Amino acid sequence: MTAQTTPIQKLDSEALSLDSVSLWQITRRRLFRRKSSVVGMVILAILIFIALTAQWLAPYSPTLSMLDAKPPENIGKRSAPCIYLLGCSQDQPQHIMGTDGNIRDEFSRMLYGARLSLMIGLSTVSFAIFVGTVLGALGGYFGGWIDNVIMRVMDVLLAFPSLLLAIAIVTVLGPGLINALLAIGIVSIPAYARVVRGSVLSVREMDYVSATRALGGNTYEILFKRILPNALTPLIVQGTLGIATAILDAAALSFLGLGAQPPTPEWGSMLGAERNQVFTAPHLVFYPGLAIMLTVLAFNLLGDGLRDALDPRLAHVS
Amino acid sequence: MKRNLSVLLSLVVLAGLMLTACGAKPVVQTEGVKETAFKAVKVEAPNCDYGGEFKSIEAVDELTVKVTLCVPDPAFPSKIAFTSFAIQPADYLTFTGGNGALLEKPIGTGPYYVSNWVRGDQLVFKAFPDYWGEKAMSDTLVFKWSTESAQRLVELQSGTVDGIDNPGPDDFAKIEGDSALQLMPRPALNIMYLGFNNNPQVDGFDNAANPLANEKVRQAIAMGLDRQRIVDNFYPAGSEVADYFTPCAIPNGCVGDKWYGFDAAAAKALLAEAGYPDGFETVLNYRDVVRGYLPDPNVVAQDIQAQLKENLNITVNIEVMESGAFLDAADSGQLKGLHMLGWGADYPDQTNFLGYHFGAGASKQFGDKFTDITEALDKGAQLASDAEREPFYTTANNAVRAHVPMIPIAHGGSGVAYKAGLQGNPHSSPLGNETFSVMGNGTGTFVWMQNAEPISLYCADETDGESLRACEQVTQSLLGYQTGGTAVEPVLAESYSANADLTEWTFKLRKGVKFHNGFTLDAADVVASLSVQWDAANPLHTGNTGAFSYWSGLFGTFLNAPAQ
Repeated sequence: MTAQTTPIQKLDSEALSLDSVSLWQITRRRLFRRKSSVVGMVILAILIFIALTAQWLAPYSPTLSMLDAKPPENIGKRSAPCIYLLGCSQDQPQHIMGTDGNIRDEFSRMLYGARLSLMIGLSTVSFAIFVGTVLGALGGYFGGWIDNVIMRVMDVLLAFPSLLLAIAIVTVLGPGLINALLAIGIVSIPAYARVVRGSVLSVREMDYVSATRALGGNTYEILFKRILPNALTPLIVQGTLGIATAILDAAALSFLGLGAQPPTPEWGSMLGAERNQVFTAPHLVFYPGLAIMLTVLAFNLLGDGLRDALDPRLAHVS
Repeated sequence: MKRNLSVLLSLVVLAGLMLTACGAKPVVQTEGVKETAFKAVKVEAPNCDYGGEFKSIEAVDELTVKVTLCVPDPAFPSKIAFTSFAIQPADYLTFTGGNGALLEKPIGTGPYYVSNWVRGDQLVFKAFPDYWGEKAMSDTLVFKWSTESAQRLVELQSGTVDGIDNPGPDDFAKIEGDSALQLMPRPALNIMYLGFNNNPQVDGFDNAANPLANEKVRQAIAMGLDRQRIVDNFYPAGSEVADYFTPCAIPNGCVGDKWYGFDAAAAKALLAEAGYPDGFETVLNYRDVVRGYLPDPNVVAQDIQAQLKENLNITVNIEVMESGAFLDAADSGQLKGLHMLGWGADYPDQTNFLGYHFGAGASKQFGDKFTDITEALDKGAQLASDAEREPFYTTANNAVRAHVPMIPIAHGGSGVAYKAGLQGNPHSSPLGNETFSVMGNGTGTFVWMQNAEPISLYCADETDGESLRACEQVTQSLLGYQTGGTAVEPVLAESYSANADLTEWTFKLRKGVKFHNGFTLDAADVVASLSVQWDAANPLHTGNTGAFSYWSGLFGTFLNAPAQ
């Protein structure tokens, strides 16, 4: 009996405060109520902090070989992690995650890798959201042949496995980080176009849109000021989850040698470069793998949390 | 009684004949190909003005082949022993048109024949029951491949393969410490170099603006690269810095001046003098394929990239290419900028190193040729004794040093690993051509894992070591190399002789040698196999790419070569 009354009380308390708080405040409250989203946000906050402060946190340049360090360090390639606090001999230079195959500090490369991974995720998803939103909105609002053409092209893009299509695009454009970003951005467009089109279709015949139309509002005003803001919610959720996928795709492309090129410290390429050392220097595949996993997990947890927090049907769920 | 006995005897003889007929059925069926009777043939150049080394090839009689050369060639036995000059039935060559089935199912005389090639998976050979020599120890030989050294080692440790090529340098100690495995080091009879193309054959390429067309720039890079650092840090034990292109174990390999010492300040000054005080941007191409001369391509490429940035402010963009595409682009002179490649000895002679790469018949890999190098190499190659050749190879080595078409970096130590306790003679070959018919594991199936899949099995038109090793199990040349060594020994020819000035070489073929399709070897097969490579106008001069790089590299210009 008690179990049934609790959500109703919560819903009531939220409903009572609707006058004084905005949708975003409610969303934030719901988001912070979910432990998994909080974990995602904490990981993400740490990653953002690392990305912003990598140049101060990193003890070395990510591309500096210890052979070129001044003075040169007496350390070999793929050396094991050495942390003085954990008993590593002071005779040995401290590299808390060891060195890679080119005798570069793995820890510094990991820190700079965070910056690159976040940049990849955000830039590709921003690009895909922008293009997808424009295409979806145009298709949904105007309908007819415009909608048909746009959505059939999207269907064609969706017919290919996204990573395979990204590989094909990079093969045509040539390997490189920018081309990889473009490829991932392109394969992500259909998801956003479909989401926006769906939202536009459901909103465009609503009374407030008709009212704007009756009051003489032009297409631009109706589409971008009335319809799109109301289609934002699913886009935010899709975008957050999309960042995780984009980071994973970029890591896969770099692992295959099609993404970031040496000596760029990208986690996927770091993993790929040392894949043969999985038995002799496991730390060199463990750290980048763990970093990719944590970043993707963080965005997925946050995305799930946002989806639940922004979904009015789940409002009663604590 | 007597009558019954003779009837019985007749039946036994008849049954014997039938069984013999069944047994004589060839192991490889080449349907549609009929064996024609021997005819004396001769392929001859009208004169020697065309620029190549061959004057004629003649089938004097069924078992005698005579090769006449335009110039003396003391290294001719070593050259003709090479895998690319293997003999296949003339009728089969004609039937295939010089490509097609020939690329996947060569018909040789070797201890194994090709049974099945599942592209992307494995290549299966079966023992040839009519092999003229010592029969193969295993009935089945399987070639597998993986570009990942970790995977190769895991397969060996888990027992799914019996031997692997090129274990990763970091795994040498692990293999040596494992009693179930054995490591066989391979002598560093190879060279890894950083190549320059001084005139890329690319449409629209502006060579006037190409910094690498400038000799001083190439010299500056030669001085600004610390090769000792590369070898010390990224090569396994047994490797050494290359002071010359050719390993010193090869006669006249290390004559003349040593390569430039590392001097970053002098290099920077020279680069400024050449007009590039602030460096420039270029590209470094290579293939991500492990070879004895290059055990860790990515790491070495990135160290070169780092050094050139640090020492000369040259920005190097790394571009990794697919192996076959990379080799084709290198051969046709289409690589721009720098490229990282290497070479393993096919036979121990300067003609296989300097001659093949920088001689008159060399490919366009390094761009325009240098006449002082080609002339010295031409003269050196025609002399018989090492002492006589020395001054010419000294000149050639010094000219290579001056023009810097490439920077010799390392002679790489590498190895082969096998399971412990194999039967026969498990070995590593300094030429990279391990013979698997002389080893076995007692089960009848021997599995070998190498770095990559063969490109094709018509090795007249292949240069890749992974293809050559596969061909060597199947096809044979007139002469060959000692198992696990470099000495030349008779194979399909049981003997050979030369005239006094080394321009006429006569080979006496072994009698009764059978091809895998049941045909019998004769001198016309030898003429056909060699002339399709030599004569560019021969309709069978097609191959996989049509480059036939070994022929032109070792014997100069093709007969009837199309005008440039």
